[in-house]
Formats: sequence, C-alpha cells, structure tokens
Amino acid sequence: MCRNGPDPDCGKKSSAPFAALLEDSVEELYENAPCGYLSTLMDGTIAKINATLLDWIGLEADAVVGRMHFTDLLTVGGKLYHETHFAPLLQMRGEISGIALEIKQAGGGRIPVLVSSVVKHGGNGEPLLIRTTVFDARDRRAYEQELLRARRAAEQAHKQAEADRARLQDALAVLQQSLLPATLPSVPGMEAAAHYRTASPDRLGGDFYDLFAIAGDRFAFFLGDVCGKGPQAAAVTSLIRYTLRAAALHDPDPVAALKTLNHVLHERYTGDDPRYCTTIFGTLEPHPTTGEATVRIASGGHPPALVLRADYLPTPGGLLVGVLPTAPFTAATTTLGPGDALVLYTDGLTEARTGEDRTSLYGDEALLEFASSHAGKSAPSVIRALTDLLDDLGDGLDDDTALLALGVPASPPPTRRNA
Amino acid sequence: MNPMRITTRDAATGPVLGIFGDLDYTTVGELRERLTALTLRPGQRLVLDLAGMTFCDSSGITALIAARNHADAFHADIALAAVPANTLRVLRMVGLDQIFPLHPDSDAATRP
Repeated sequence: MCRNGPDPDCGKKSSAPFAALLEDSVEELYENAPCGYLSTLMDGTIAKINATLLDWIGLEADAVVGRMHFTDLLTVGGKLYHETHFAPLLQMRGEISGIALEIKQAGGGRIPVLVSSVVKHGGNGEPLLIRTTVFDARDRRAYEQELLRARRAAEQAHKQAEADRARLQDALAVLQQSLLPATLPSVPGMEAAAHYRTASPDRLGGDFYDLFAIAGDRFAFFLGDVCGKGPQAAAVTSLIRYTLRAAALHDPDPVAALKTLNHVLHERYTGDDPRYCTTIFGTLEPHPTTGEATVRIASGGHPPALVLRADYLPTPGGLLVGVLPTAPFTAATTTLGPGDALVLYTDGLTEARTGEDRTSLYGDEALLEFASSHAGKSAPSVIRALTDLLDDLGDGLDDDTALLALGVPASPPPTRRNA
Repeated sequence: MNPMRITTRDAATGPVLGIFGDLDYTTVGELRERLTALTLRPGQRLVLDLAGMTFCDSSGITALIAARNHADAFHADIALAAVPANTLRVLRMVGLDQIFPLHPDSDAATRP
C-alpha cells in the first residue's frame, strides 16, 4: 500500500509478480476498504465518507455529505460519550483511537464499531479537518459476549459446586453429631468431660463415646473404637450407639449389654466384610451421701480403663465385639472416691507413633505414668491435659482418639455440665 | 510407611500368604482382594506369615478376621505365623489370641 497519499504512479513502482495483487486504484481502495472512512470539518460536518460506511448506515452520499454531522451517525448514548469524552480528548491530543461506539443504521439497527480519529493540520499548524476510521466490531462484540457468557456459566458452576460442598459438609456434620453426644448430661455429685479428635478432618471417625441416664439415678456410659473409617465405619458406629443405649435401658448389666451388641453386630455383618468394635460399656451409680460412685464395666477387647488413683482397671480376655456368635466379655467393678476419676480412651492415644523417626509407640506404660502424675485432678482438667498431650503427639496420631473422663470431685462442687 | 507386598506359596497343609510391609487402611484392600480370589479345600489350613509385616492397624486386624471368616466358609482352618510383638500385643488386648492359632514361624504353622 502506498503511504504517501494518492499517487497514481505508486503501484507501478512495485515488482511485476505482485502487480495483480496490489491495488491499482487508491480511490477504489478508499471506497471499498474493509473499514469505514470519513472526514469531517472541525465543526463535525461530514465532508467525505466512503462507500463501506455508507453501506453500513444504509444512506446515499448525497444525504450525508455536507448535511450531517458525525454525531448524527451515533446512537444517543454514543452522542453523549462523543460530547463528553471523545471530542474533548481529540481536541486535546489531536488523535484518539479504538473507542467503542454504536452507529445507527437507516433500518433501525445498530452496529458496534471501534472509532479512531486524527486531526489534520494545515501548514501553519491550524486544524483543518478530522479523519476518522470506523471498524466493524460486530464479530468482536459477539466474541466478547461469548466470553462473558462462558465466564458467567463458569461462575455459576463454581457457585453450584461450592453450594453442593457446603450442603455435603452440613450433612456430614449432622451425621457426625448423631454419632457423638453434643453435650454430656450432668451427673449428680460427679464431673464428666470428653474429647474427640479425628486424625483426618474430612473423614468420618470410627471412635465413639456416650454418657446417658438410665433407670433411677444411675447412668450408663460407653466408649469404643470401630475397626475402619469413613462412612461405613460411621454406619456401624451409629448402629452400636443406639444398640447400646437401648440395651442399657433393657438390662443395665454391662456384660449383658455387650452380649446384645455382639449379637446385633455379628448378625448384621458377617463373611468377608466383618465389622466389629472394641468397647468398654459401664454403669455409674453415684452415692451422694458418701460422695462415692460405684462403677461397673465390661470390656470387649478394649484397652483397660484407667483409674486415676492411679491404676488400670484390668479387663483381660474380653473379645472384640461382633467377631464370634458368642464371645467372652470381662467385667470389673470399682468404687470411685473423692478425687478419683475413671478415664476411657481409644488406642489412637496409646498407639500414637512417638520418637524422632515415629517408630516407637506412646504405649500403656507412658499413659500410666501420665495418669499417676494427674491423680486427684478433676475430670475436665484430666481431659484438658490429655488434649494437650494429643497436641504434642501431633502427626504421630494415625488414628482417631476418643477420651471420656468420669470423676468424683475432691470436694463436692456445684453440679455442672461439660462436653 | 512401608509399601506392602504379598507372596503366595503352597505348603502341604495349604496356601501360605507372606505379608511384607505395612498392613493398614491404605494397603489392606490388596490383601482383601487376594483372599477373595483364594479357594480352599475343607480341612486345609490357610497360613498368614507375618514375619515381614512392619505395621498393622485396626484395618489390618479386620483383614485378619476376614481371612478367618473366609477360611471358615470353606470349612478350612487358619493360623498366624511369626506375629510381630506389637501386633501380638494388640491381638492379646482385643482377645483375638483366643481365636487365632499362633505359631512362632511358618515352618511350625505348616506342620501337618
């Protein structure tokens, strides 16, 4: 293309093979260029306009040249923008480029366009006229709208996914709460505290505990560990919790409660997908007059309960609940006096990996030692100390851990509630 | 964490599965699959040789019980060989030493 203005000889200077491809008429190029050209006087009166632009607006040159202003081609919004931004900027800088406007068509349609203008100056620097190019931006606008629509769709999908996730989390939280008591009931003359920690937050845990009133002023409690994790383990946990609660009301004898649970689990889960648990089930009989409490427990394969006097309350020989049609369970009884506490825990604690290379286990000995040093403390403070211990074990905790402490205060406190 | 590996051999008494590495939540599926595919004859003894097992969590214990149920379904027996001390302690705690015959090594476990 010739850069030096209309010069009929321009095309001839090029080498022959390109001749056919080159524009032989600058006038033809002006009229039918793939963009609109127009020149306006400084007051905006259209002095010259090319055929392309006339075609877009659907008017004849006679109707436009000398009769219309550039702004007459624009929509109302475009006119406003021209007055407030386009024209002042052009006046200030002498040129302006790529401004998005809309031009009106004679048929009532509109074409989105990109407009660039430059002021032509005379020999003395006085402004003579404005040259303007107008690019058809219909395809570009469609593309932008497509992008915008895709982005809105993506945002919508993202919002939907977030909402789904939130709903799933809510459902999980509700299920998790159905597996564990939200708060522990207040036991007259005693204190109770519990703690539950999952090794991985997104996985439903397999540990469980509960404390609830049964006939008279007695209470029943249990704590255990379902083998496995996730929704399947949670389903078993739910079955266990409500079986033990019902069994305790029917016959509060701890061994009888475990036998009922064993029967239910073994009947429900057999074969290649055995489901079972270790658990300690117990009853609590506070004697407000003496300030003591009688504890009867039975264990099915669960780590021995700890009595903070300090000793274990051994229950050897009890079998996992749910493995065999009839299984032996081991009973034990103790009396908690003022300052004593019974602590139930799951093996997430004793099986926590410790040491530099995380190969040693925390173990029963260490737990007994811990118990000795906390003898005489209240149930809530024992749970707090154990919680701190879990914090220290940190990533050594491979498994979930449940803790339940039931204690007789050293001096009778006002009845309170702890969860 | 040690990856798990399972070996199989046939003894006069029946199949012997050797379990090497960690038997836990992440690896237990493989043992379950092996067991499901395993056919036993009545009176045979399935031996799980645990000499190379470095860790066993509750999921691993579950797999052992599933193995016992599997053998039981074929009217076959099961025995554990060379149970590591940590796992033995767990088995005793949960009372499973009462239902699994335990042998010091796979030779003793495969003696007719």
